[in-house]
Amino acid sequence: MLPNYTVNIMAWLRSPIKGVMLDISGVLKNGNVAIPGSIEAVQRLRKCGLKLRFVTNETQLSRHDLTEKLRRIGFQLHENEVFPPAPAMVETLKGLRLNPMLLVHPKVLIDFKDVDQSNPNCVVVGDAAEHFTYERMNSAFRLLMELKNPKLFTLGRGRYYLEEDGLCLDVGCFTTALEFATGLKAEVVGKPSSSFFATPLKDMGLDSSEVVMIGDDIESDVGGAQKCGMRGVLVRTGKFRPERDENHPNVKPDAVVNDLAQGVELILSSESFKSLIKHE
Amino acid sequence: MASCFRSLKAVLIDLSGTLHVENDVIPGSIEALNRLRKSGLALRFVTNTTKESRSFLLSRLSSLGFDIKAEEVFTSLLAARSLVESLKVRPYLFLEDEALEDFQGIETDNPNAVVVGLAPSMFEYNHMNRAFRLLQDGAHLIAIHKSKYYRTKEGLSLGPGPFVEGLEFASGQKARIVGKPAPDFFSTALSDVGVKPEEAVMVGDDVLLDVGGALDAGLQGILVKTGKYREGDEGKLKQVLNTSFVVSDFAAAVDFILKELGTQK
Ligand SMILES: [Mg+2]
Ligand SMILES: [Mg+2]
Repeated sequence: MLPNYTVNIMAWLRSPIKGVMLDISGVLKNGNVAIPGSIEAVQRLRKCGLKLRFVTNETQLSRHDLTEKLRRIGFQLHENEVFPPAPAMVETLKGLRLNPMLLVHPKVLIDFKDVDQSNPNCVVVGDAAEHFTYERMNSAFRLLMELKNPKLFTLGRGRYYLEEDGLCLDVGCFTTALEFATGLKAEVVGKPSSSFFATPLKDMGLDSSEVVMIGDDIESDVGGAQKCGMRGVLVRTGKFRPERDENHPNVKPDAVVNDLAQGVELILSSESFKSLIKHE
Repeated sequence: MASCFRSLKAVLIDLSGTLHVENDVIPGSIEALNRLRKSGLALRFVTNTTKESRSFLLSRLSSLGFDIKAEEVFTSLLAARSLVESLKVRPYLFLEDEALEDFQGIETDNPNAVVVGLAPSMFEYNHMNRAFRLLQDGAHLIAIHKSKYYRTKEGLSLGPGPFVEGLEFASGQKARIVGKPAPDFFSTALSDVGVKPEEAVMVGDDVLLDVGGALDAGLQGILVKTGKYREGDEGKLKQVLNTSFVVSDFAAAVDFILKELGTQK
């Protein structure tokens, strides 16, 4: 067993890595607290000239406020490196000329300020957290039952995430509830949707085979990245649970690392990376 | 003609939509129930209520003019209570105050189970998250039933089913459903009168919960075209239901049962 495992550990480092996508919650920080070593790890990636994007399903804050929050915690990053679902959702709504009923957190509403919300003809569900009430769920349900062509969008489909006081229900619970009640299938705008990963990939100007995604969600981060041709690396931080995630029935990570710092160390010390530096 | 029933000993009867709709008796039901009683068949009333306690149901039925005794009524709430007792667990209860009466005396401190009924005031993030964390710690998930929605004066409203489904998704745990159509629900009601499933018939207005559930549990099922019945509902069954088992209302169901009982003897 052991030699095989060692081979697998090495395999993901064999072909060149030119860019890295990082999940935010559970990789950089839990709640408001940086995960030890992650601030430095982001700096190391930057210094080595690797392209870096932050790809998150965070919808409790606007893109701007999320960036500011990470800066306050100590991370150096620019707003245009951050890819959350809300701006992508706005693009989709504009493209399809849809007016949404927004079942989202009030703090993310600013990202939707240019979207017409009168006479809604679709429902968008985000991580509304304590703003998920029966009344709001019921209004969304009734609208979906009344519409001739109902459409349900969900900003991610996470099951839960880790906050300082423990695991917290994510949007997936409430989206699943609305799907069950209405018989509809929600369209995911966010990880693990391939079209969601396509935007930061295009922004990096790299082929998916040159990019590694690092996250703590085996399905949204690792599974989603692998589906569009990236390598998916799972960290043992955040919501990670060994008994559940190391033997997932459908997703096998390209690697499992203790934390972001170890993942970055492995990437930067790999032969393929060193030779890449030499050639350039 | 041979009887449709091999040896009929008991009839299970749904309440809402079969005998009455809210505070209106479905015409002919009171007399039909009295005729059925004279036949000597054992009767049990089985209902998926999650908001009303047994005593609440009984007082409504008697004010409508039905002659029904407490021990004849089986509700999904009471079935949940017996499951909680047999598992010896302390439930976190998603129930409205009216229903809590049926859980009197049950220990609920330091919960290690989650019981979900119809509790609109609790279907919000903080209660759901509390339940989710209990499930993460290994608590049992028990659903009183999994109805998607119900009809109110203001329109359709979400039932417990969607919230159970959401908790199942997040926790990766499958809920145990105690009400109709769970086979255990029918068999518990029947074992109370010492009758085997093949010796019983269920009468109800919900094609999947009442009739489909009964057929799955080994009973026969009669569908009445009252309450929530919609034209063509019988086509939703995965099993085959003889057209003579689809009748206009409860009175017609009783006529059918009594006629078949006559040919049986
Ligand atoms: Mg994460
Ligand atoms: Mg009924």
